Amino acid sequence: MSFCLNFPLFLLVGSLLSAVLSCALEKNAARILCMALTITSFAANLVIGIYTYRTGQNYTYLMGHYPHPWGNELRIGLTEALFSAAFSLILFLTLLGARKTLIQRVQQDKGRFYYCMCDLVQAALLALVYTNDLFTGYVFIEICTLSSCGILMIRENGKTILASVRYMIFSLIGSGLFLLGVIFLYGITGHLLMPNLRESIAGLSADGTYALPLLASMCLIVTGLSVKSGLFPFHIWMADTYGAAIPGSSGILSGLVSKGYSFLLIKIIFDVFGTDVFYASGIHNVVFALGGLGVIVGSVSAIRENNVLRMCAYSSAAQIGYIYMGLGLSPVLGMEAALFQILAHAFTKPALFLSAGYLTDSMGGAKKFRNLTGAAHVNPAAGAFFAFGAFSMIGLPLTMGFIVKYLFGAAAFESTHLKLIPTLLVLAVSTVLNTVYFARAILHFYTKNPNPDVYSKVRVREQKTYILSASVFAALNLFFGIFAKPLIDILAGALSVF
Amino acid sequence: MKILMLFLILIPALSGALLPVFRMKRKGNLIYTGAALLVSLVLAFVLLFASEAELVLFSMTDKLRVSLHLDLLSKVFMGLAACGFPLAGFFAFRYMEHEEKEGSFKETTFYSFYLLTLAALFGMDLSGNLIAMYFFFEMLTLLSMPLVLFERTKESIAAALKYLFYSVGGAFLGLAALFVLAVYAPSLDFVPGGYLGGAGAEASEAHRTLLLVMSLLGIIGFSAKAGMYPLHGWLPTAHPEAPAPASAVLSGIIAKAGVLAIIRLLYYVIGPNFLRGTWVQITLLSLSLLTVFMGSMMAYREKNLKKRLAYSSVSQISYALFGLFLLNPAGFSGGILQVLAHAAAKICLFLTAGSFIYHGNKRMVSDLRGIGKIMPLTLIAFTLASLSLVGIPPFSGFVSKWFLAQGALESGISVLSWLGPVILLISALLTAAYLFPITVAGFFPGKDYQEEARNREGGALMLIPLMILAVGTLLLGVFSGFFSGLFEQGFAALF
Repeated sequence: MSFCLNFPLFLLVGSLLSAVLSCALEKNAARILCMALTITSFAANLVIGIYTYRTGQNYTYLMGHYPHPWGNELRIGLTEALFSAAFSLILFLTLLGARKTLIQRVQQDKGRFYYCMCDLVQAALLALVYTNDLFTGYVFIEICTLSSCGILMIRENGKTILASVRYMIFSLIGSGLFLLGVIFLYGITGHLLMPNLRESIAGLSADGTYALPLLASMCLIVTGLSVKSGLFPFHIWMADTYGAAIPGSSGILSGLVSKGYSFLLIKIIFDVFGTDVFYASGIHNVVFALGGLGVIVGSVSAIRENNVLRMCAYSSAAQIGYIYMGLGLSPVLGMEAALFQILAHAFTKPALFLSAGYLTDSMGGAKKFRNLTGAAHVNPAAGAFFAFGAFSMIGLPLTMGFIVKYLFGAAAFESTHLKLIPTLLVLAVSTVLNTVYFARAILHFYTKNPNPDVYSKVRVREQKTYILSASVFAALNLFFGIFAKPLIDILAGALSVF
Repeated sequence: MKILMLFLILIPALSGALLPVFRMKRKGNLIYTGAALLVSLVLAFVLLFASEAELVLFSMTDKLRVSLHLDLLSKVFMGLAACGFPLAGFFAFRYMEHEEKEGSFKETTFYSFYLLTLAALFGMDLSGNLIAMYFFFEMLTLLSMPLVLFERTKESIAAALKYLFYSVGGAFLGLAALFVLAVYAPSLDFVPGGYLGGAGAEASEAHRTLLLVMSLLGIIGFSAKAGMYPLHGWLPTAHPEAPAPASAVLSGIIAKAGVLAIIRLLYYVIGPNFLRGTWVQITLLSLSLLTVFMGSMMAYREKNLKKRLAYSSVSQISYALFGLFLLNPAGFSGGILQVLAHAAAKICLFLTAGSFIYHGNKRMVSDLRGIGKIMPLTLIAFTLASLSLVGIPPFSGFVSKWFLAQGALESGISVLSWLGPVILLISALLTAAYLFPITVAGFFPGKDYQEEARNREGGALMLIPLMILAVGTLLLGVFSGFFSGLFEQGFAALF
């Protein structure tokens, strides 16, 4: 059983190798390789998860058996296993569901590069979750940035290139800030491994030495990662990017890539700064305020949008705001809510983007609502899954979205009264706004039967893989929405040993 | 017996969801829908005689349990839904024949959502805790919205969206109250008398202000569905746009789900003792009285019949809320009786308004001159229901208002104890002023009236439900002693 301790290394090396290998393969072979990789990673992480659940503690994996300060370490516990399993599964399902659009939209000779980029994203996500070393974290942040740019601009038309350049600029600013933060930390502590850093930072903050550089590095790291995941006011790249990219790419970016950064930030807060130091610095108040504003601004922008993909993009901005709001709210329940929100949004958004994509495809590529009236009659499956995703976003009971709201409500009472009212207000306003724009979209899709001569009904046969993937997404969402307790317990337990 | 509760929800839910799958002809659809409604009625009737029961469906977390529970209050509201839905449904079988137009939903879609709405209502009635009730409340909003936008014109979609926003926004306020109660109340299961303010509730004393504010917000939130000021705006917009049977159940039964939610929150979780005599009670009483008066005033000025009836609902449902907010036994009995009396009368009134539209597209009050010559039986039903709504003895509306006035006088709240009955009286006069002229002008149109074809009644499917409802308002009044005795005894544990 203890052999499974090696799995993280195998997965990382395997992903990087298959990325290289994909360039030499045919498109179909590359696809099969990528799918096999993601599903293997899911299974392997489940095994690691079971192992760590049994032993009840984290373990540190020395890559190359060099001890610190030379070595490069991974650290895996139940949370890490859970999140990397979830990320792998979501990547698998998104690629499965996007298969038809990928065949149609991506030129035949480019297809293998798309899967090569997906392999790299997979490697980067795993590394961001596993890493115990800030510099490894930085390296994979860059890999993640570059590969997600590749995923975005695979269509190679003017709009997507512009969008991915914009995305790259924002992303690089983010990673630059992160790197600066890491350099500062290295300068004042001399360490890059997380446990050593934590020890020295606890010492520094107790002495009061290097208070300013420490604060500056915290600010830089938090800002860098939040720019990358698209926290307000750095969310402005989202609408153009997700609006122009193919739906599968938008799903991967909003469902996974930005979540990887958020998870890394949470890990850094716990393992590098320590919650005591971080929550004494006051940065969390800024994060909380920006998160709350992001929720409201994202929702308002979504209401004003009349393009369905851009609307979903703004909705992502709002949902990311929730993660940061939870992070700023309180160290225990708030973090729990933020982690749960990462999973809830990752399980919902890719399916939502895919469904929106299939709806627009069935109406001849129209993206504006007024050209999409009746789309759900042309493509009933996509309409139904879109509606389900929307219900989860609104937060109806039995979906994960409801549990998120409940956890935020509970966390709000744990924090100070100064944050209680704003949190409840943001929840209230965002619920109503979410209902407004999703109800409008659904009504557009379901009103008026479109002319049957122009639009022929999409059959189940034509989108088998999409229906399979969307139903798994929906089933998982319902399952964790109804039986949320085990998941919440795991998260709570994980936070206590983080 | 327990599993019957689940069946009661599942039968209309499944039959509604499967209706479009079968692709039957119109006749098949009608028989299917009618059968589903009648089976639900029989099942509900059996449950009326069942003893109290509890059934836990599943738990999300320790506190977030979803359970079903059958008690007297569930039985009252379940009986209301089970009787009202078939009556309006059979009316719809004839009425909806002509409603299917270019661009509108198919008639099948209407019946499908009609049955699903009934399932959500049963779910609300049988909920055993706040979580389950919140879930069914949201479901009810979503599933009843398509009834409003049946015609899918721009106006009806706008009206449906307005309904959605008011209800969802209100439900969120309820959810916020739920969050607070999840922290400070020992459990979210419904217990007569509630958790706060009783013995051993020190936590509620320490956070008194917070709990009071959140209770107020929660109650106001759920009152959106019941149409209490300031969240009453959707009623007059949604009702004229919906087809008549839909407005009938919307106003007669679905809006009552808001009342049920308030009773559950106020009497079964928060507890009347916690709120009695506080500024929250005064605020709620003032809001409900304001709504009673304002609704009647608006109804009096309105020329469109269905809109007038919608404003009348705003006013009449707040009568019931006024009784509930008095927090004493007489007020409570009056509130419940008013719910029943208003449901019977208002379903009848909306269905007669539908009959007028069905025969000759008469929507405005001025069109109804001489209608008594054309449709005498329909207008008689209209008149009987109006008598009950105004509160003339021996109709049920009189009894409920009697209890309400008695409750107000007993309450001992300084100004409101006498101002309440006064406003109830003024509103009753206004009700008479906006309903009776229709009857008068209908039967006695005056000399210059050009006679139209006589006796074009709506046929058995439309007339029989009207007659049953009209007689029902009378019978409810005649046998009100039985009901008030039952309520006084059954709800004694609440106080």
